[in-house]
Amino acid sequence: MAENLLEIKDLYVNAGEKEILKGLNLEIKKGEVHVIMGPNGAGKSTLANVILNNPQYKKISGKIDFEGENINNLSTDKIAKKGIFMSFQMPEEIPGISTINFLRTAKNNITEKPVKIFEFKDSVKKYSEELNMNPKLIERNLNVGFSGGEKKKNEILQMLILNPKLAILDETDSGLDVDAIKTVSKGIEMYKSTENAVLIITHNTRILSHLDVDYVHVLINGKIVKTGTAELAKEIDENGYTQFKNM
Amino acid sequence: MKTQVQEVNRNIYDIKNKDNYEIKIQGLNKEIVEEISKLKNEPEWMLEIRLQALEMYEKLELPTWGPDLSELNMEKIATYVKPKTNLNTSWDDVPEDIKNTFDKLGIPEAEKESLAGVGAQYDSEVVYHSMKEDLIKQGVIYTDMESAVRDYPEIVKKHFMKCVPISDHKFVALHAAVWSGGSFVYIPKGVKLDIPLQSYFRLNSPESGQFEHTLIIVDEGASLHFIEGCSAPKYNKVNLHAGCVELYVKDNAYLRYSTIENWSKNMMNLNTKKAIVGKNAQMDWVTGSFGSKVSMLYPMSILNGDGSKTEYTGITFAGGGQNLDTGFKVVHNAPNTSSVINSKSISKDGGACTYRSLVRINENAKNSKCSVSCESLMLDDKSRSDTIPVNDIKTDEVEFSHEAKIGKISDKTIFYLMSRGLSEEDAKAMIVRGFAYPISKELPVEYAVEMNNLINLELEGAIG
Amino acid sequence: MENLKLNDTPVRTARNFAINNIELPVEIPNKIKNFENVEITNCKSKIDNEVSNKELTYGIGKIFEELVFKNANNKIRIQTTKQKEDIKIIYNFDEKNLNLINQIEVLAENDANITIIYKSKTSKQCFHTGIIRTIAKENIQLNVTIVNLLNEETNNFEAIENTLYQNSNVKYTIIDIGGRTSVSNYYSNIIGNNANNVLKTIYLGKDKQIKDLNYIAELRGEKSNIDIDVQGALNDEAKKNFKGTIDFKRGCKKSKGNENESCMLLSNRAKSIALPMLLCTEEDVEGNHSTSSGKVDEKQLFYIMARGISYKEAVKLIVKSKFNKIIETVQDNDLKDEILKEIDERLN
Repeated sequence: MAENLLEIKDLYVNAGEKEILKGLNLEIKKGEVHVIMGPNGAGKSTLANVILNNPQYKKISGKIDFEGENINNLSTDKIAKKGIFMSFQMPEEIPGISTINFLRTAKNNITEKPVKIFEFKDSVKKYSEELNMNPKLIERNLNVGFSGGEKKKNEILQMLILNPKLAILDETDSGLDVDAIKTVSKGIEMYKSTENAVLIITHNTRILSHLDVDYVHVLINGKIVKTGTAELAKEIDENGYTQFKNM
Repeated sequence: MKTQVQEVNRNIYDIKNKDNYEIKIQGLNKEIVEEISKLKNEPEWMLEIRLQALEMYEKLELPTWGPDLSELNMEKIATYVKPKTNLNTSWDDVPEDIKNTFDKLGIPEAEKESLAGVGAQYDSEVVYHSMKEDLIKQGVIYTDMESAVRDYPEIVKKHFMKCVPISDHKFVALHAAVWSGGSFVYIPKGVKLDIPLQSYFRLNSPESGQFEHTLIIVDEGASLHFIEGCSAPKYNKVNLHAGCVELYVKDNAYLRYSTIENWSKNMMNLNTKKAIVGKNAQMDWVTGSFGSKVSMLYPMSILNGDGSKTEYTGITFAGGGQNLDTGFKVVHNAPNTSSVINSKSISKDGGACTYRSLVRINENAKNSKCSVSCESLMLDDKSRSDTIPVNDIKTDEVEFSHEAKIGKISDKTIFYLMSRGLSEEDAKAMIVRGFAYPISKELPVEYAVEMNNLINLELEGAIG
Repeated sequence: MENLKLNDTPVRTARNFAINNIELPVEIPNKIKNFENVEITNCKSKIDNEVSNKELTYGIGKIFEELVFKNANNKIRIQTTKQKEDIKIIYNFDEKNLNLINQIEVLAENDANITIIYKSKTSKQCFHTGIIRTIAKENIQLNVTIVNLLNEETNNFEAIENTLYQNSNVKYTIIDIGGRTSVSNYYSNIIGNNANNVLKTIYLGKDKQIKDLNYIAELRGEKSNIDIDVQGALNDEAKKNFKGTIDFKRGCKKSKGNENESCMLLSNRAKSIALPMLLCTEEDVEGNHSTSSGKVDEKQLFYIMARGISYKEAVKLIVKSKFNKIIETVQDNDLKDEILKEIDERLN
């Protein structure tokens, strides 16, 4: 049996005074695709942010291990360097910094050595073509004036370039039209290998029809209340979350 | 989460040469003004202007607003410091210590690579002035101000202290009384320079003042990019800079005036810059203010010609012990005029930035437009950032809008960048660099490099 | 008559910008008898005349402040009761009551709506100066509406000082359409955490009217909020100075301040000066301001006139549409009608 890539044990998290996660457990192994579903306010986005140690959230107890090492108190950049990537629900706009320069800076930081510029540009070009991105987009300032779909594609592009061990996609599908969802799914397919893993956070099932999913978890009120296969997603699609509310 | 950005590395600028002067005159009175005029072999009319200005200086009060100037004691300031050299046209003739300073500032190198002409002032006198041969043939004049008084008296008489009247404020009057050095530029009708001219001002002598006068006339349909740089090593005592820049942009002409101001933190920078803009002409200002202890600097465009335009792009960066009061003034004085003002400021380590401005749209400025945007970034809670804009609109046929923002770097943005592997410091530096980018991109390459010296490289740290 | 420099801004700028203060010839009435024609309605709260003479932080000017403290001819102090009330104070200027020097103090220990109205029932020149002080205690919701409907001969000078404690929520609505010269000073001292202050003003100037508005908000409490929205229109040779200052004091973490002033110029002789200041010594804040000046939107004008409405009526309609979002906060329908009628008349 493969070793755990990510292991979360009994995690309690607060945002300000409010309890968000209340004893969450999760294990992800290499080669797996996990999906976390749940209604609004269940704590899905909190989970993604907490894995990357967003200082807005406070871990009360429990632990997060990555490749057997505790990352509870690592700063966000160190966690990113360990190989965890998060695709943001609402990517930040940063004026004055071009997307391509940002990508290169990030890549240099993650790999801790300067990338070869031509190789780098080629791969950016290749991936952005695969993602049907406007080639001019990467010259523009990071996310500034990008449409919702362009921002999400830009997140996937960053994932492909940075090639993390674990990619967490926070509501990457929300607000996208059918074609964009297909493109994003294609990006995930390109990334996926036996050596890495994907954690998809979503509140609807549309993106799942394009992907092979190993596990579906239902997150309600700060806890994972049920874990199943892709079948579980279909069930939720038909019956909603009400059935789990009293679990 | 505290925002921390490294202190600017000032090493290059802080090289002190020995105070190796030929003449150093301290204080201010009628005899001193007469002596300066005599040393310069000036015509009578110039001495008269100086003496009138001195009278005006004595009459005018210190400003009742803005930063505290009480540290400034005119009796202690050297009003004239002549270095041990005359004006040279070859760097080889410039004394070794002075040449070394300009070498380290990259001036002769920039001259070879990307400039059409260079002037270099050291303390009170211009020590080097040169321009490309072909420009001389086209009738372009680029020389030091003293030579201009001697060689082009009619043009100078017509324009000197006419754009900026000696009564404008106390330090303009002071300037006119003791001015020394500076550059004179005349671009003939229709001549368009595609590479810039640059004057660099270096103040080496402690407890002294620099009072250079820059007079630029861009004749009808001509075009010029002029760059001004300034720096000084740091001393414990107060230095004063009260220069004056007068710009005449004639009909259909274009002038861009770029400044990187990097005075040391013992400098009182009380400078005055004004442009009169003709019909369908355009005046663009690009200004980076990084140095000095106190700055009061508000370049001004007077849009006198129908259809004239002006754009101001400025950044001010105040660190510990600095009080930088900067901004822009524009008067719309003709129909169909337009102005765009874009100001940014960064305050850190107890530094204070003030954006102060005036937009005046007069009765006759029908169909004019003005848009103002200013953004202030606070990097910690010890610093200060004030925005004091006056918008004076005297006609209804205008489109005027003003927007200002103040705040800190968003924690969300820092988290986003850190999630891509950037350390907190690098993330902040990147955001600050991005914040400054709209201004640095307006600068010519070699000055963007200097600005890089000042913020980008230092703030970037490890970022490639 | 002497020339007075009034309504100083908290921070000075260059003198030739002509905005640090307003210089006006002012005639202060010397014979002051009690102002009799005051109506106070719906008030079960405790009322007396024990108003405080504590020095103002800003105010119109020392001369007026001393005048009010020494010679006020009407003083009202209200301590709000438990039951939320709609208190209305109406000053009717008439032949017998031409001069008003008043002090109003509201100590809000419970929620209340207070409306203060100045009306002229005479065409004679009147004079008004006054100080309004409101103090909102913890968790209090206080709405204050001030309506100036004074005749075009009257000079009006009003200083307002407003203090907010923790979790209080104070809304001020100022309808400044009357008077020849109207000088107002509004100072909000936001002391408590989570305090919220909204100030909405409309002004309208015609003929040679002068409006001088000096609004200052100082944020001291954490997570506090100030929102200033000023909508105005100037006709004929009217002149307006708007000076708005949001001052983020060190320690007011996570506070927000917004300031917006918009001036419609209805004549090419009208003059509008705006000085929207942001002062800041705290890092963790968000401050925004915007001002704009210009003519009535020509596209809107064309659209309305294409429906057969005259130019003048169309302008009125557009001005009122801009004012409406503020006038709508006035709860009393009769008063609202009165304000709209007055705006109509002044735009004729």
